[in-house]
Amino acid sequence: MIYLSMALSKISRYVLLAIFNALIVYTIPLALTFESWFFLSLTLVIGILVNVVYFTDRFQPMKWILPGMIFMISFVVFPAIYNTFVSFTNWSTGHILTKAQAISVLEDRVFTPDDQKGLEFEMYILQDQDLKFYYVANLDSDNILFGRAVSDDEIFSTSYATHEPSLFINGEFSIPDGFYQLSGKEQIANSTTLQELSLVIDQNTRAQLYKISVFGASTGRLTSTSQLYTYDELNDVLINNATNSVCPVIKDNFECDGNEIEPGWRVYVGGENYRKLFSSQRIRGPLNIVTKWTFQFALLSVIFSFAVGLLLSVILNKDGLKFQRIYRSVFILPYAIPAFVSALVWKGLLNPDYGVINSWLGPLYEILDVEPVKWLKTKESARSAVLLVNTWLGFPYMFLITTGALQSIPKELIEAAKVDGATGLQSFWRITFPLLMVSISPLLIGSFAFNFNNFTLIFLLSGGGPPIVGSEVSVGWTDILISFTYKLAISGGRGNLFGLASSVTIIIFALVLIISAISFRYTKRLERIYGNI
Amino acid sequence: METFKFFNWVKEYGWRHFVALIFVTFAIYPILFVVTNSVADFANLTNSKLIPEGFTLKHFKLLSSDPLVPYFKWLYNTYKVALIAAIFNVFLGTLAAYAFSRLQFKGRRASLLTLVIVQMFPSFLAFVAIYLLFFQISDIAPFMGLGTHFGLILVYLGGSIGFNSWLIKGFMDTISPSLDEAAKVDGATEYQIFRRIIAPLSRPILVVIFVITFIGIYSDFILAAIFLKDKNLWTVAVGINTVFIDDFNADWGVIAASSVIAATPIAVLFIFFQKQITGGLTAGSVKG
Repeated sequence: MIYLSMALSKISRYVLLAIFNALIVYTIPLALTFESWFFLSLTLVIGILVNVVYFTDRFQPMKWILPGMIFMISFVVFPAIYNTFVSFTNWSTGHILTKAQAISVLEDRVFTPDDQKGLEFEMYILQDQDLKFYYVANLDSDNILFGRAVSDDEIFSTSYATHEPSLFINGEFSIPDGFYQLSGKEQIANSTTLQELSLVIDQNTRAQLYKISVFGASTGRLTSTSQLYTYDELNDVLINNATNSVCPVIKDNFECDGNEIEPGWRVYVGGENYRKLFSSQRIRGPLNIVTKWTFQFALLSVIFSFAVGLLLSVILNKDGLKFQRIYRSVFILPYAIPAFVSALVWKGLLNPDYGVINSWLGPLYEILDVEPVKWLKTKESARSAVLLVNTWLGFPYMFLITTGALQSIPKELIEAAKVDGATGLQSFWRITFPLLMVSISPLLIGSFAFNFNNFTLIFLLSGGGPPIVGSEVSVGWTDILISFTYKLAISGGRGNLFGLASSVTIIIFALVLIISAISFRYTKRLERIYGNI
Repeated sequence: METFKFFNWVKEYGWRHFVALIFVTFAIYPILFVVTNSVADFANLTNSKLIPEGFTLKHFKLLSSDPLVPYFKWLYNTYKVALIAAIFNVFLGTLAAYAFSRLQFKGRRASLLTLVIVQMFPSFLAFVAIYLLFFQISDIAPFMGLGTHFGLILVYLGGSIGFNSWLIKGFMDTISPSLDEAAKVDGATEYQIFRRIIAPLSRPILVVIFVITFIGIYSDFILAAIFLKDKNLWTVAVGINTVFIDDFNADWGVIAASSVIAATPIAVLFIFFQKQITGGLTAGSVKG
């Protein structure tokens, strides 16, 4: 029985490994085709590790650790390394592809040689329910061609037009079911779109709309297409077949007669992104503002929420005080709600035109005779609002940990101080508070580190805004480093500057490292952990 | 005498209640406001009040019927992704924790230290690299590339496994080694000791880790936002913060309703496990 179950477990182990290896083997050629070297090396490392660990019995403990380790290496450690690599490239909109991919995109481009325009014929323009355009070209009774009209980008992926004699009954055009025929006026209204489209007849021949006629059928023309660019591998140049010009490589683009040809490709650029961050005035300025504010935001968030949390726990730390339990459960509530919900709700409350905060403050504005505060719309109001909301989010945590710490301070110490004639305040600042800080300070540093990268709150409450005017990149007064990075890479509206964003991430990494080092030094946590092992 | 007694009460207790009540208002006002507004009959933010005049469920109905806001689809996606990721996270974390707690091997200390150091850097910091990595995976294996829940789950799995195995290991260390030594004498294999003794005894910490991980993933915005582009695949965090940005005034009732639905289960879960969660959080730091 035991032997059977052992044999079974061995068999199932080999089956699982076989499936795993099949996946690895399937991935390798694909990774090679797409030139994803990093991905390829990751796959190979994982593949080798898994096989070594599970085929042999030499690494027993690794059998337990490896599954979790694979995910940690792949999606935490590896991205950190990859991030460093990206920060030394020009990876950004217009330079997303590898050189080979860019060349293949360029070689798909076509043009129409001038001397090959000729033959004219009747053309009908149709549209289907999805508003896609279809052409019917009536060349002669043997060539009534029908098919989707596509733009140049789709020419190589679309199917050729088909001969459909059934579209003409007794020489009269009849509209096929499910299609709508565009009138002359509608064709004129759509003419810019239609000019770009063509009906693909075969590899080199297309039919295009030539003259729109308001009454009766419009006129089409046959054109032949030629490849616009040819890549000359030997000299590493692109040849423009329309103008016969030679386009050399300038850094990360081909350049024809002084014009950069899109798309370019990604290349290694050394420290250029870092140079930009530190020397380009219109990036360095905003980066300074953002870095300074990141520290201010994290520090003030901790101070405010700690102050409120401590105040409340001290107040409630009194024997015989009624409603303690109710107070405690209410104070936890803001912490129990996901931050992405709280940010949304506060954004509503703070709305300067309709929000409840301004209608509350309405009388005050009248007494002081000032304009209502444009919450989140000006630098000062946005920064105050972000701190206010973060205090609301953060004080319950501080309340919980300070309550715990207060209760663990021996009562005798306070009593003894009282006997010695200390007032309540004196014994608090001289005895309670210092003792409290011993156990709380590592948590405060942890909270600082958390808020240092509190993307959710900043991005969802203020969006980093209001914008800093005059910056080369999209950035605002409440942006912290991580939300600044996000705008650079994803949502800034000025393209995806992955390379530059990665170099900002490296700065964040360095700062987090410094914060953690301080925290470890300060609390000797590392020794404690080491002792624990 | 009576006034003196009252004065004394104010000095001892009264002011405490006064300050506490101010902060009770601060803490609870936004929450009450959004709860009452989710069932209030007025149409927009302008005339919203804390105590509404009419009662209606129309905002909730609107959420379930508006094809442009597939709210319950988002909710389903969120629960699906968070549940799967949290389950695997705890499972893999437990396996690793067992080895760290019970097996002796070379490099054990070094790997534990590595875990602590790696966990200092939240995984979303390298989101640019994660984005570009999965951008390339999309070419090779589209089923786990950008825009898929599968890929997102993989990233979440990596994100907190180190932290989790560390906490679980700490708990397992408190289980007396005499138990597994006795089992070993009886001829139990490593796997049997894990399955029959250590894992069942670790259940309390596993539940807590599961809840912490689940809440963490449920509340994530940044990774879900870069991963999911298709509206039907969004999580709640991405959905409600992407759709409701233009017109807060008119959408206020629906915003309130969707906030209530998104927050209530998490708040209940959190309050239920509050003691253990804060205990766990003081050891590392996930939230706060």
